[in-house]
Amino acid sequence: MINTLAYGLTIGGILYIISVGLSLTFGTMRIVNFAHALIYTVGAYALIAALPFLGGYFVPATVLAVLAAVPLSYVIERYIIRRLYGASIDYAIIATYAVLLIGVDITKWIWGATPIPLSDPVNQYLNIFGVSLPVYRLIIIALSLLVFLALEIFLRRTMVGKIVVAGLEDREAVSSLGINVEKYFCLIFVIGSCLAAFGGVLYSPITTVHPYMGFQVLLLSFAVVLVGGLGSMRGTFISAFVLGMVMAVTGRFWGPAAETMVFVVMAVVLIIKPIDV
Amino acid sequence: MASSVILETKGLSKSFGDFTAVEMVDYSICEGESAGIIGPNGAGKSTFFNLLTGMFPPSKGMIRFMGSDITDQASFKRVSLGLVRTFQLVSVFNSLTVLDNLVLAAVPFNSQFTRMSRFMLGSAHRDEVLSLCEESLIRAGLEQKRWSLTSELSYGEKRMLEIAMALLLNPKVLLLDEPLAGLSEFEISDVLSIINSLREQLTLVIIEHKISRLVGIVERLSVMHQGQIIAEGLPDQVLCDPTVRRVYWGADDQACET
Repeated sequence: MINTLAYGLTIGGILYIISVGLSLTFGTMRIVNFAHALIYTVGAYALIAALPFLGGYFVPATVLAVLAAVPLSYVIERYIIRRLYGASIDYAIIATYAVLLIGVDITKWIWGATPIPLSDPVNQYLNIFGVSLPVYRLIIIALSLLVFLALEIFLRRTMVGKIVVAGLEDREAVSSLGINVEKYFCLIFVIGSCLAAFGGVLYSPITTVHPYMGFQVLLLSFAVVLVGGLGSMRGTFISAFVLGMVMAVTGRFWGPAAETMVFVVMAVVLIIKPIDV
Repeated sequence: MASSVILETKGLSKSFGDFTAVEMVDYSICEGESAGIIGPNGAGKSTFFNLLTGMFPPSKGMIRFMGSDITDQASFKRVSLGLVRTFQLVSVFNSLTVLDNLVLAAVPFNSQFTRMSRFMLGSAHRDEVLSLCEESLIRAGLEQKRWSLTSELSYGEKRMLEIAMALLLNPKVLLLDEPLAGLSEFEISDVLSIINSLREQLTLVIIEHKISRLVGIVERLSVMHQGQIIAEGLPDQVLCDPTVRRVYWGADDQACET
């Protein structure tokens, strides 16, 4: 029971870290960004590439992997996403999906298609009520809460954050205040992408790193964003943990249905509360 | 009356596919003038405003503001030049407080953002911006609600807030898109008195559906129909124009008598 709970919270935490970037870009720019999954994958591979150079230390390698997302996402925003503002939503899907496919092939070309396992960087266990839990997973849960708090402070307390909150509601109204929205969108895109890379890094010791790891997560992240409600950062937070629990509990009874159940929940939520984009 | 033209369009057109929303509009307004634009629903009034503020590019034609061609200029830059608008559906940020809405309008983000970014943690600019916001809170009658979430305001209060935000942007020309739509009689008189007080200070262009509301406020009236300006002149003359009366048949037939 405690195991299931901890597993659900871990999945929820990682899902939150990955999805919140998607939620920010989807909410402000109204762009469905499939390239998010590429950044997630690149984050994991950047970690693997960085580890040998840093004597196997996980934390500095993580920092490097997250920073690697900055130039990559900047280029994607500047040269692809920026051309799609105001265009129909399917253009964005096609263009960013193309970026994902090309990127995944480049990843395969560099690192090969063989899955790479990573060992638990902490490798310690904590006994809670007689159940031994990997400390690494508890750290993930704590980090996801930290990301949530940091984003809340950023959005509520800073001027840039307030512009973003306003942009989530109505970006045309923001530019009618004489504010260059695109500049802030770029920043949001880069922050969101860094979080995707961070999510990729955190998840890789739990699963294996392979070129297609982004596809599966992408769909789950979209489910999180849609269930959480378009443009709602707190909604994304709650929805990530709820869907993480849904996966953990379903998986406990019947493994293969774990992910399917997430989309069942999403479908029910969309039927009750449809979204118009 | 002989003051200079501040905003003008030449042959301004906008088509969406086969539909022409605005067709060859030549419009101009002089500094300090107050003008109204009326027309039935779908006449192209709001599209005309959207073209002026750069929400989308025109299919043809040009826009000149204070002597320079702004046809291709980004919409946020037009605002910094002094071309400011409000929206038909009131557009304020519901998830921010009333004060934060005003702050977003009062901070000149584009001019000195690096210095202004300190504003988030407190600086000399903070007091300057907050005192500007305080003034406009009082002017809009919202000083009791400064910490309220904007979503808790009534529609009329939101309209007052939107106008207050527009004024914080230091407009030279203020475009008001149906500022009275959806308001109660009581709220209408509040908004009208604000608009009246603005006539002295800046150039106003007001879109309105109810013709009678504009009489006594605007010095000049233009009528749009099917994307074109079909009549222009003093309000009384325009309202008695036979073409205008035909377009408005049934919609506001008593207009000539008022």
